[in-house]
Amino acid sequence: MTAEPRIGTEEEWRAARDRLLEEEKELTRRSDELAAKRRELPWVRVEEDYRFETEDGEKALADLFAGSSQLMLYHFMFGPPYEAGCPVCSSIADTLAPQVPHLRARDTTLLLASRGPLEKLLAYRRRMRWDIGWVSTIGSEFNRSLGFLHTEEELRPFLEGEIPPTVEENARSCGTDVAGYVSEGPGMSVYALSDGTVYRTYVTTARGLEPAMAFYGLLDRVPAGRDEGGPAPLWIRRHDEYDAT
Amino acid sequence: MTAHAVGTREEWRAARDELAKLEAEYGELRRKVTDKRRELPWVPVEKEYRFDTEDGKKTLAELFDGRSQLLAYNIMYGPDYELGACPGCSNLGDELDPTRVHLNHRDVTLICFSRAPIDRLIAYKERMGWTFPYVSTYDSDFAFDFGLALKPEQAGQIPELVQMVENPPSWLEDWSRQVGADLKDGLRENPSFIAFAREDGTVYHTYTVSAPDQFVAPYNAFLLDRTPKPPPEEPRNWRKDEYPQS
Repeated sequence: MTAEPRIGTEEEWRAARDRLLEEEKELTRRSDELAAKRRELPWVRVEEDYRFETEDGEKALADLFAGSSQLMLYHFMFGPPYEAGCPVCSSIADTLAPQVPHLRARDTTLLLASRGPLEKLLAYRRRMRWDIGWVSTIGSEFNRSLGFLHTEEELRPFLEGEIPPTVEENARSCGTDVAGYVSEGPGMSVYALSDGTVYRTYVTTARGLEPAMAFYGLLDRVPAGRDEGGPAPLWIRRHDEYDAT
Repeated sequence: MTAHAVGTREEWRAARDELAKLEAEYGELRRKVTDKRRELPWVPVEKEYRFDTEDGKKTLAELFDGRSQLLAYNIMYGPDYELGACPGCSNLGDELDPTRVHLNHRDVTLICFSRAPIDRLIAYKERMGWTFPYVSTYDSDFAFDFGLALKPEQAGQIPELVQMVENPPSWLEDWSRQVGADLKDGLRENPSFIAFAREDGTVYHTYTVSAPDQFVAPYNAFLLDRTPKPPPEEPRNWRKDEYPQS
């Protein structure tokens, strides 16, 4: 625990809690406002004929909706040289996979998408026991256009600087080197299908992905919080790789 | 043609960049509130509670299972519910298992509470395929002491609640049928997260958050906030094995 906790009475707690509640209500209000503003973004027609390798053969972006009118893709960091998926993306998939039936019932198809070959993705999915569709993007343009694939030239300043130990560790655990690991970027992209035309409606990355890491929201409600200031700030492991405790 | 405004990539990018500023502001505000949450005083729990668990009777301290923090989700499943827990709470429950291992390795034990008797919780847990520890607060003051449930006389003194019971919207009537309880009893359960800390043998209550806070909503709501279609006007939920066939 970071700071010494203050011990109080129930009345003191109640008074402090009531004050905090006002701020939490404001957060809820702001969050609803953001959701409304997201829906005001213009839709952008997807003109390119992107292709995907799926368990049911090659498909176009419009086919991935599979009967829904909304499609949400989580761009999972699993590039061609990876031997296993990124541990942080894996923790996100832990949160996303159980949402599939609930979103499906709300006209939304949720899938994972990666650049790695489909066989590797499916083998890893079996290992992680996720019940969620996973598609492999054919070629690089799809990820590139979203900003989730970086060239060596773009990465050079980062690669020539001091590499954070957690990046090295994650690269190692994915069976690739740092350059191979960070050329993939995580993200989420959302699409609408209307009269046979696909529109891109929303894209987010980095901190925008936090809601997809349910454990962070939960840790934000316990006394020690995320507690990530220590020497090993990135503690997230694949769910089957934590040391037994 | 779509009824929605269609734009160019450049237009989208400009609008997205503006929105990103608001998202960042919101993130900053959320971090500040999170810090304040941890400044709440800790309140020692002096009363001795006993809970029915799958492994027999346990005290609050024993529910920590050796860790120093306990986070519990209180699922609306009262003793009067004939057909199972609240579907929305059940959706949230679906999410907890896969994320639980990550919390366990951050010194947090994650469990669920409900007020129905333990044998019914065990049967429902099996039906939903859950693995988290499910603890019954049946026959204990715990749920009432910590605001996780209301006694009939307390519920009768809350005008909003009385109004909802007397003039329920149709989605709430459907909800009452889904759980198999009259609204006057069904709405006495309070969906909440409650947190405790354990230090030097003492258990402290640190935090509670209840509906309608956005945190006490099924997680799919976070994702649906990012999809193009407007949200449904009524908060209807179904258990994962009961979705109407479309």
